Order: sequence, then C-alpha cells, then structure tokens
Amino acid sequence: MKQDYFSTNNIKYIDYKDIEILKKFLNPNGKIISHKRTGVTSRNQRKLATAIKNARFLGLLPFVAK
Amino acid sequence: MSDKDLDLEDNADSRIYEVGYLLVPTIEEGGIPAVYGNLKELVLSLSGQVISDEIPRMRELAYTLGKDVQNVRNKFDTAYFGWTKFEMEPEKVLELKKKLDLDSNFLRFLIIKTIKENTVAARRFIRRDTIHRKTPGVGGTDIGVPVEINKEEIDKEIEAMVAI
Repeated sequence: MKQDYFSTNNIKYIDYKDIEILKKFLNPNGKIISHKRTGVTSRNQRKLATAIKNARFLGLLPFVAK
Repeated sequence: MSDKDLDLEDNADSRIYEVGYLLVPTIEEGGIPAVYGNLKELVLSLSGQVISDEIPRMRELAYTLGKDVQNVRNKFDTAYFGWTKFEMEPEKVLELKKKLDLDSNFLRFLIIKTIKENTVAARRFIRRDTIHRKTPGVGGTDIGVPVEINKEEIDKEIEAMVAI
C-alpha cells in the first residue's frame, strides 16, 4: 500500500464503525500498522489511529488478538 | 487556504455528535426497540435533533467486557451494538452523558464529534463490489448449460480427491 488508501477511495471521514476497512490496518496481533508500511498520509494516519482506538473501546476491534 | 476552509467546515459541524453504544445482552430482542426509542426521546428532550441512526443488533465482541450491576461483576462476550447521530448544543451533550452513565441497559457508550454526511464507507464499497459481481452473474445465467457441465466436472474432481 504505497498510496494513501483513503484518498484513492475518496474516503473523507474515517469512521470507527467501518471495521472491515480498519482491519486492513491491523497486524495479526491486532496492533496498528505504522504509517511507514501503510503509506497513508500523516493526517489520515492520525485519524485512522483514533478510529481504531474508538472501535477497540466499543469492542468492535481487539486490543490484542490471540 | 484549504486548511482554513476545512476549519470553517469543522465549525459548521461542531454541534454534530454521534453516540455509539453497547446494550447489555440480557435484554430480550423484544425490549430493544423500547431502549432505542428511549434514547431517541432523550436526545429530543435535550433539544437535539436525530440525523441518522441504526437499530441495535446483537454482535460478538472482540474481547470480554465487564460491567458491575448491583455490586456483581458480569462478563459479556456479546452485546447489542447501535449508534445514533444527532445535532445538539455542546452543553446539553454533557447532560446526555450523565443520563447515559446512569442507565443500566448501557454496557458501554462513546460520544464523539462527527460530520453530518454519511460516514460509513464500507457499505458503498460492498454495493460497488456486488454490482460488479452481479453483472457477470447475470450474463452467466443466460448460458445455463455450461454451468451444469462445470458442476459435473467438479463432482468428478471431488471424487478423485476423495479417492486419493
């Protein structure tokens, strides 16, 4: 993923409910993949991190995957 | 310039909030519309306007959540997840939070600032995908005979696999 996933797919608001999209940015342990590997812009990576954390709080995504 | 414009947009949307919540799974299916209706009424009573929402649905949680009810720790692996997007005065949102804190039906909830437009992008993609998948499928139904032949071939292959 060298290009920004969100700008290529025209996603302006990264929603915590879009679990299928957010899952793309988690590694098998459930950790957030660094922006170096995702290729997402800094601005979107920050929003992405917040969205993932919100989803984790509501039990939609794991903090740690077994 | 573009950043400034975005800031202005943010100000215009500054009173749009969304509450995502998990309801305790001990509520029966029939009781869900009542809880969902109560939340809507609560938003309206605090002079808010509901923009969009989703009826709570049972789903598996990614990890076990705990909640103390009458000094007893309950653990839940499933919950009803729903959300409501609404417009409200910032001061009133604090009141809403206090009221939701006291509600025993809510396992957990999260109030965030959001924008008025539909933000769930996954559905749009799913639709696009299904459209793409359907179009070749529609063409495929006209040519029904080759599909049957394929099935037979597959059956033979499976039999061969089983024999091995």
